[in-house]
Amino acid sequence: MRAIQHPSEAALALHAGGDLGPIAAWRCARHLQRCQACREEIAAFQGVRRMVADLPAMPEIPWSRLAAEMQANIRQGLADGECLGSQAARTVGWRRFTGLRAAAALATLTVVVGAGLMLRHPPAARNQTVLQATADGIQLSQGGEALGMKHDAAITNVSYSANAQGSIGESYVDPLTGDVTVTRVSW
Amino acid sequence: MVRTICGERAFRWVGIGVLSAAAGLAQETVLPSTAIRIDLPKDSPVALLTLDPRDSRFTARGGAIMVDLDALLTMRNTGAGRIHGITLRVVSQEVAMGGKASVCIPRLNIGPGEVFPVHIVQHLVRPTAFASGPLVQVSLDGVLFQDLSFYGPDQLHSRRDMTAWEMEAQRDREYFKRILARTGRTGLQQAILQEMDRPQLDRPMMLRTPAASSAALAAGERSERFAFVSFPDSPVEAVDGTAVVAGNQVRAPRILVRNRGTAAVRHVEIGWLVKDPSGREYLAASVPSSQPDLQLVAGKTAAFAQDAAMKLSRNGQPLDIRGMAGFVSQVEFDDGRVWVPSRQNLDETALRNVLPPSAETLRLTGLYRKGLDVLIAELNKP
Repeated sequence: MRAIQHPSEAALALHAGGDLGPIAAWRCARHLQRCQACREEIAAFQGVRRMVADLPAMPEIPWSRLAAEMQANIRQGLADGECLGSQAARTVGWRRFTGLRAAAALATLTVVVGAGLMLRHPPAARNQTVLQATADGIQLSQGGEALGMKHDAAITNVSYSANAQGSIGESYVDPLTGDVTVTRVSW
Repeated sequence: MVRTICGERAFRWVGIGVLSAAAGLAQETVLPSTAIRIDLPKDSPVALLTLDPRDSRFTARGGAIMVDLDALLTMRNTGAGRIHGITLRVVSQEVAMGGKASVCIPRLNIGPGEVFPVHIVQHLVRPTAFASGPLVQVSLDGVLFQDLSFYGPDQLHSRRDMTAWEMEAQRDREYFKRILARTGRTGLQQAILQEMDRPQLDRPMMLRTPAASSAALAAGERSERFAFVSFPDSPVEAVDGTAVVAGNQVRAPRILVRNRGTAAVRHVEIGWLVKDPSGREYLAASVPSSQPDLQLVAGKTAAFAQDAAMKLSRNGQPLDIRGMAGFVSQVEFDDGRVWVPSRQNLDETALRNVLPPSAETLRLTGLYRKGLDVLIAELNKP
């Protein structure tokens, strides 16, 4: 019995993003029509792409560079996966996602999401001074530094305020003292 | 060969090594009370009785040092006046980027000799090791008394803030007392529930932008004009204003105001509202006059600008900003008096459905959560 020749993971990843050339895309699409396992793999890659796309909009991001670096990271991650994984013929089914192959897939996913997050906050942006409210307080951050005021995470009735001169504040009733407390952080 | 290096065993050992290193680097230490310094002037009307560092911790993780301060201060009113508010500055000299943090307790009612708590919870992150000396310094910025007199260096303009909160508190407390007298328990309950149901934007996020380029429009940006809400009794009117808008981002508000009263004004704040596609309004921020001393004499106009940029979202979704409105939210006169919009101003313009609750309303809604009778007992106090 002749073993099925599956497209490589790199080809599937690129196909998920519409980045394959026309002939390779046609061959890949033809294979996908009869291979459930590869369709699932494509769906997983598309899920990652959606997850990255759903990150909050940051107009200052160079999206073309992000896309190019994501592609490069996918390729690099898959190459690493090839290095870690077996070179033997692939077996179809759940066993493909166990052991080192699963670790490689996880590493690839981590690289892609990590790259997306890193590029979402490029070095220039990470050095930018940011004032923001978090789940349990308010903080000023720049580079690796942060200065913040916190409140008990159990408090749900928190009122936030922002001042365009460069400060944010929060008001809440402190359960420890019973008093209204107003904290503020500014640059 | 390559497969040998990248093999399963090597992979496991690398993982174990990384985890061990991370565990070794994360060292958590209890923060002693000596790491916190409390500076009070010699003639301060408050004194520190005890400092409980509670669950304060110092953690070294990787290349970062983290301080989680959770301290409970017990203070005594050592002056002759009744204290209605206190603001403490909380700073760390070790944070190179600067920044100021403060904790304020408005709506206190502490008589001479009485004791009160101040709870401070602060988080600091710094990439390198700390120098010797206290990690956190707490100092007094100001104390507001019942007669609106003030004590303190006022580096954070806490006099103005606490006075404004006191004015708002008197306004809102009177409002709820009138509601109780006019409509009874049911009316009061409805009014409180309305206060607890104000639409808010998601947690704010603000970026510092270079001042030089703030007025220029970048690709995708547009200049949006404010539509101002006018109050008949406001001593200052907003005449004109614009800001730069792009999607859910707003920045660089520029506002022109005119003093239409007779007293000189030294500070003005404009409430900045944004509209979504359905026309619903949300309070985005306040825009204060940028000059330290505005000196806006009667009949004169003054322009001011700010350069911060904000990203606005609602229920986790970026807010598509379709319009802006503004109103004069605070005026400080030369003599230290503060004007805030009246309840009538807010009701007649429907701003009361947009503005977040005042500190007093927050306190009263907190009491309501303990029971309607607790709230009524509080309102019946003289």
